[in-house]
Amino acid sequence: MEPEKTEISKSWEPRIVMFCCNWCSYAGADGAGIGRFQQPASMRIIRVMCSSRVDPVHVFSAFLEGADAVLITGCHLGDCHYINGNEKTLVKFNFMRSMLKELGLEEERLQLNWISASEGEKFAEVVRMVTEQVRQLGPSVLKPEGVA
Amino acid sequence: MSELKVAADIKVGDKLLGWAASEDVRSRGASGGLVTAVLAAALETGLVDRVLVLKKVSEFEAYPVFTSDVQEVLESAGSMHSVPVNLARYLKPETCSGKTALPAKPCDARAVVERVKRNVMSSEDTYVIGLNCGGTMHPEKVRKMLETIYRLDPEEIAGEEIVKGKLVFFTKDGKEHAVPIDDLEAEDLGRRDSCRYCQVKIPTNADLACGNWGVPGDLAEKVTFVEVMTEKGVELLRNTVSAGFAEVMQPDGKSISAREKVNKVMLGMSEKRKTEVFAPIENGKERFEYFRKELENCIHCGACKAVCPVCTCGEDSKCTAYFSLADSHKMSLFHMVRFLHLSDSCIGCGQCEDVCPAEIPLTRLYQRFAVPVQKEYRYLPGMSDRTPPFFALKLEDNEDKEGGGCTCR
Ligand SMILES: Cc1cc2nc3c(=O)[nH]c(=O)nc-3n(C[C@H](O)[C@H](O)[C@H](O)COP(=O)(O)OP(=O)(O)OC[C@H]3O[C@@H](n4cnc5c(N)ncnc54)[C@H](O)[C@@H]3O)c2cc1C
Ligand code: SF4
Ligand code: SF4
Ligand code: SF4
Repeated sequence: MEPEKTEISKSWEPRIVMFCCNWCSYAGADGAGIGRFQQPASMRIIRVMCSSRVDPVHVFSAFLEGADAVLITGCHLGDCHYINGNEKTLVKFNFMRSMLKELGLEEERLQLNWISASEGEKFAEVVRMVTEQVRQLGPSVLKPEGVA
Repeated sequence: MSELKVAADIKVGDKLLGWAASEDVRSRGASGGLVTAVLAAALETGLVDRVLVLKKVSEFEAYPVFTSDVQEVLESAGSMHSVPVNLARYLKPETCSGKTALPAKPCDARAVVERVKRNVMSSEDTYVIGLNCGGTMHPEKVRKMLETIYRLDPEEIAGEEIVKGKLVFFTKDGKEHAVPIDDLEAEDLGRRDSCRYCQVKIPTNADLACGNWGVPGDLAEKVTFVEVMTEKGVELLRNTVSAGFAEVMQPDGKSISAREKVNKVMLGMSEKRKTEVFAPIENGKERFEYFRKELENCIHCGACKAVCPVCTCGEDSKCTAYFSLADSHKMSLFHMVRFLHLSDSCIGCGQCEDVCPAEIPLTRLYQRFAVPVQKEYRYLPGMSDRTPPFFALKLEDNEDKEGGGCTCR
């Protein structure tokens, strides 16, 4: 649900690019909708066949084009549809996070979570939590001028 | 002094003093001309098919050449302190069929190791004769030093040497002109920035590690100190001695400990310098501004990538294929990808910084990303070809991570 905007100047809302794995968190998003679990409209979801498809180029591009944060989600470790894709995600994630940290970005701007297809409630909860954290941080320094 | 060592007795771990048999090579060599003798012997006996050396143009200029001509190798003797080249970059599949030998500063040797890991060439076919290194100087800065500090005409220089912390120039009239390197560096002259915080001074990753540290005073510039690091090193040195190109002998314990002591002091200075260089880039928000400001000047010419000896991606690389200036509003995606990509492999060789037409302190930036990551994983790239790049290492560590790695619970 889009929160009501009263004043333009106060209208900044976190914009978060969320990568969802086709086999788990993407279905989890449906589950959250069907279950009518409340969540803010901060996410821009991109479906990928596996969380390990998310490349650093995708993450950096998201930031450069105005995302305030990036959230990568995939199947729980051990449950990957392609045996161990999510383990590779975790390796890449740790490197990307330390790079962004070294660059001077807050590390909370890059997040990772494992959400299965049946965890609609967890999906909504993660979205709420990440949105709240990013709201506290404010807009990202990588956001180009003029992009909401 | 102890006796000469026979070829068959040379083994891995030996620390020896050696010198070229030829008087001419000995006099032109930086130390005892041993490196030149090893390279020439390897070529002469057919141990290698070609050698990569520097061909001297003037005191400040030399260019790398592949040669199978023993004479050309003999002529290459001597250290070029103002030629900050990285030789490993020239080792490519096109240039490396068969066996190749090359002299290598620690950064050359580290780049060789990283290139071997990326299958550019094979370790068995590459013979690396390491040179200790206290640093190289940018030729342009050398000219500036000569003009502003030494007050000498660069054309009048006949030779140059580093003696006891002083940079000494010899002029054609036979005079010596010495200035302490510390004084030069206080003026931002002297060694290249990256050399001042370089982390490896003795190339223990090469097949042989040669230098003048540990050479007793009375033999200075007459012999080379050599440590035999690998079986290939044994092969090289035995070959040199049995072909009559050089002689080696056992040094005394004092020599060995003196070398270790100098190395320790040099590494300590590098460490101190590193802290000084990186201290202004420490804080979160300011750090971002610092990177943004520096990279703002990038004209995306691609020279830094073309020259980087550990980058083996070639034409089809992620940092260029997905880069679009229009999308890189706040920062260049090209550099962001490279920062990540090089965090496990940047050896701090300074090549990128040397070529950047926009004068961005690139090595500082790249090292600023690489050093914390390399520290965290206790991994120094280019030191061993048995250590896989740690993308491979990390997969096994996943299991111990709390909460399976989730960041938001
Ligand atoms: C830039 C530089 C800094 C050095 N700093 C130290 C030091 O601080 N402490 C120490 O103990 N030793 C140092 N050395 C090593 C030392 O100067 C001698 O090279 C070494 O002792 C071997 O002596 P040699 O007479 O056997 O070599 P030589 O027979 O003179 O052979 C030298 C070989 O090095 C090659 N070479 C020359 N310049 C370069 C260069 N810039 N890059 C790559 N290859 C090159 C030549 O092509 C030649 O093949 C340094 C060498 C260099 C090149
Ligand atoms: S980076 Fe290190 S090894 Fe390379 S030239 Fe500088 S001091 Fe020597
Ligand atoms: S990024 Fe620069 S300093 Fe690092 S390895 Fe490449 S050329 Fe050398
Ligand atoms: S060499 Fe300098 S200007 Fe050229 S792409 Fe690299 S950083 Fe940019």
